[in-house]
Amino acid sequence: MTEEQNIQTPIIELNGVTKEYSSKKNFLSKGETNIIALNNISLAIQKKEIFGLVGQSGSGKTTIGRLLVKLEEPTKGIIKLNGKPTNKLKGKALKHYRSKVQMIFQDPYQSLNPHLSIAETIIEPLVVNKIGNALTRRDKVLETLEIAGLSPGEDFFHRYPHQLSGGQRQRVAVARAIILDPDFIVADEPTSMLDATIAIQLFQLLLDIRKKFKMTFLFITHNLAAARYLCDRIAVIHNGVIVETGSADKVIKDPQHPYTKKLILAQPGFNFKN
Amino acid sequence: MALLKVENLSVGYKSKKGMVNAVNNISFSIEQGRSLGFVGESGCGKTTIGMTLMGLLPENASILKGDIIFNGNNLASFNDEKWRAFRGKEISMIFQAAMNALNPVIRVDEQIAEVIQIHNPAMSKSDVSNQVKKIFSLVEIPEDRLRDFPHQYSGGMKQRAIIAMALACAPKLIIADEPTTALDVIVQDQILKEIKKIQKALNTSVIFISHDIAVVADVCKDICVMYGGHIVEKGTREEVFKSPRHPYTKTLLGSYLTLDSYEDINVPEIREAPDLITMTGGCRFSANCNCKSQKCQCQTPEWVNLSSTHQALCFEELLNKDKND
Amino acid sequence: MKKIEKKPEHRNHYIERFTKSWAIFIKNPMGKTGLIILSAFMLMAIASFFVPLLGPVYHPMTGADPNITYSTGPSLQHWLGTDFIGRDLFVQLLEGAKVAFIVGLSCAFISVVLGTAIGMISGYAGGIVDTILMRIADIFMVLPSLVILLILASLWELSIWVIIFIIAIMRWPSVSRIIRSQTLSLKSRPFIEASRVAGASNFRIIFKHIMPNVLPLAFLYMTFRVTSAILVEAALSFLGFGDPGQVSWGMMLQWVWSSGHMFQAPYWLLPPGICISLLTLSFYMLGRAMDEVLDPRLRKEEEEE
Ligand SMILES: Nc1ncnc2c1ncn2[C@@H]1O[C@H](COP(=O)(O)OP(=O)(O)O)[C@@H](O)[C@H]1O
Ligand SMILES: Nc1ncnc2c1ncn2[C@@H]1O[C@H](COP(=O)(O)OP(=O)(O)O)[C@@H](O)[C@H]1O
Ligand SMILES: [Mg+2]
Ligand SMILES: [Mg+2]
Repeated sequence: MTEEQNIQTPIIELNGVTKEYSSKKNFLSKGETNIIALNNISLAIQKKEIFGLVGQSGSGKTTIGRLLVKLEEPTKGIIKLNGKPTNKLKGKALKHYRSKVQMIFQDPYQSLNPHLSIAETIIEPLVVNKIGNALTRRDKVLETLEIAGLSPGEDFFHRYPHQLSGGQRQRVAVARAIILDPDFIVADEPTSMLDATIAIQLFQLLLDIRKKFKMTFLFITHNLAAARYLCDRIAVIHNGVIVETGSADKVIKDPQHPYTKKLILAQPGFNFKN
Repeated sequence: MALLKVENLSVGYKSKKGMVNAVNNISFSIEQGRSLGFVGESGCGKTTIGMTLMGLLPENASILKGDIIFNGNNLASFNDEKWRAFRGKEISMIFQAAMNALNPVIRVDEQIAEVIQIHNPAMSKSDVSNQVKKIFSLVEIPEDRLRDFPHQYSGGMKQRAIIAMALACAPKLIIADEPTTALDVIVQDQILKEIKKIQKALNTSVIFISHDIAVVADVCKDICVMYGGHIVEKGTREEVFKSPRHPYTKTLLGSYLTLDSYEDINVPEIREAPDLITMTGGCRFSANCNCKSQKCQCQTPEWVNLSSTHQALCFEELLNKDKND
Repeated sequence: MKKIEKKPEHRNHYIERFTKSWAIFIKNPMGKTGLIILSAFMLMAIASFFVPLLGPVYHPMTGADPNITYSTGPSLQHWLGTDFIGRDLFVQLLEGAKVAFIVGLSCAFISVVLGTAIGMISGYAGGIVDTILMRIADIFMVLPSLVILLILASLWELSIWVIIFIIAIMRWPSVSRIIRSQTLSLKSRPFIEASRVAGASNFRIIFKHIMPNVLPLAFLYMTFRVTSAILVEAALSFLGFGDPGQVSWGMMLQWVWSSGHMFQAPYWLLPPGICISLLTLSFYMLGRAMDEVLDPRLRKEEEEE
């Protein structure tokens, strides 16, 4: 593959991805009620961009994220990483895939094991992928902590999640996601549990990381303003269907789909009329 | 006379490390039919204020000083018995994450009827059920959904039912603690409209608590900005949000993303949460303030009057210096 | 070198957790009472190692007093009296405490280790593995353990260790059910998924992430298992199917009964009966107090600090 082509292949591509959850009511009733969480989704995310996925809760945002990090398999459709289909990866190939695609989870209070120290949490990807030895790992953890804005790293090394604020916990999650130097990171509403001032700091961190490491992000949010601040392009998802895609500015200034318009109107702002 | 007048109220929590001064020397008042908003980041003491006004502070908490005058009664000196008669009738509260507070095995209308009956034991059955219907039409839950169980409701409808429950006894004051935090923007928008509509229709007073400044600005005409247990700025929403004067209010506003203002965002420096246990006497925001004045760290700031309604807890010369920049 | 630095901190976390839980535990009157009774029995069990050194007369099994040929009441020489062949009852009681501890703790340990391992695997693996393991658990759960023990004991002479092992085998299913449901709720927690996204193997997830979270619950079950194991062993011995070469409280009761002293010798009948009740009660109290330590509401407060 030449360099030319490389630039053109999107880093992540979803082709007609459908995800159904079957919920058998009980073993007596034969009929399964299927929940269609995602319906025929097609997306392409380019290298180095921050792609926003906006929609209200239950619209299927997290499901896309979970498909991308292989916590779930699509019912139909193909997911490609760097142009290569990734369906049904197993063993070594799956491990390799996971070192390339990482995730930051929504709830910083739930996504860190309360019984592991910060160092143990962040070091885990290195340990399970057998990278480096005890010494180099320690240095790498300290370095990553500093990048994630937890400095001095030594201060945080031996602490436990309950000793950190929500914003700090989410930075730990960021550190864990970037320590393997992945190509692509899914950030699932990383700031929905945080205060606005803390959220904006985290956004800045994501922007810095993108610049420094040329990583690509899928940024999932229900906050259009945040999407506009952070993202190059956004897709609006509603009931498992993508209703609108475009550059962030265009989608917000000139929304086409009625649902997007509704979403924009509902966004709280400072207009004191009543 | 104001419906509620809180003066120099301090509330603390006993903890192993010492007294957590969660609410410190705050004063505010609210007139009948007005809406007052409290904004500030989590941990600044908003819920503590709400719980104090409801007499629902946990065991380890106590009112350290101050008066809470509601309609001529001093709530700060109420005992349990007085609170039981008072709570829900005169003041009611919509709790944080209240959607999960509905009893899953009792029909929604029965839950609300129960609240009415507790406070009006003499009321007849048919009167109660009429009252329930009236309230439900107020919060726009269709009548045929009255006899549903809570799990049959969507998140937004549950929140409406909770609001209905708070309205059950026609209280004079409703305290809403982050009533929309767990909801979607679209549902949030509906609920906020609902609260505004009800407030107008019934002429109740509302104390609205949120960490989201735009939400508070949407609902409330008067605003108190809180930081580290202090109210640091108060005024009408135009005063506070259009011409903020306290450095903390400026930080809050400067980092708030809206659809229009996303380019001139100031990313605040990584800050430490204020220490609520050791009382240095200085301004609690001083460590994070960019005024970098020595004075703030040791001297207690005072209220500076900026207009008849607008006040900031800071030093006058610092406020003015900032203005000249 | 640097790795060694990490270790003490790691242990500190557990020490810290332990001291916090301990503070809640010891505040609980049940926990305190249970612990006091338990310490008394522990002293008895320890004493049982030393008393026989006083002389051959004070051996619980073979130490018949040559001057006594019938059951006697309490005296200076034999504090609780002697049994019908002149063995010291107090010494037997001490020995019984030791045996009760051995039976209770080892049964509990085996059944809880087994139950926890199976519960974690079952909950984590799900699907067919889960179904098979839980069906097996169901089968064991409905088996009447005492009856089976009685049948086995009437066919063969069972040593105390075989009895311990059989009780343990009968008792893992309820532990594994609890641990399984705990594992199920942990399995979908984001921190487990985060670890999977990081590339962690199932083995690592079970032992590094799930185990520390279910361990407190397993400990809780251990105390309840102790209680039931002691009771089963006592019943078995009393019915005459215990290890005949081993003194235990149940065995003492069996001797009172079979030698026809049931209503003549309260000094012989009461002490083992009271001891069984008190020891099982103390473990039960311990369990209840631990239950409170594990109460999610209390735990939450602890985490929020
Ligand atoms: N494991 C699951 N089993 C069944 N339904 C699920 C599961 N996970 C998600 N869903 C359903 O899929 C839809 C999309 O969910 P999700 O992706 O979590 O939405 P979002 O992240 O946008 O809030 C919802 O209707 C949800 O109920
Ligand atoms: N039960 C409690 N015991 C000790 N400290 C508490 C308790 N509840 C709240 N606090 C402390 O009081 C402060 C204010 O809390 P809260 O009123 O809940 O803030 P907010 O609602 O603004 O987020 C926080 O620092 C919090 O840690
Ligand atoms: Mg989601
Ligand atoms: Mg609160």
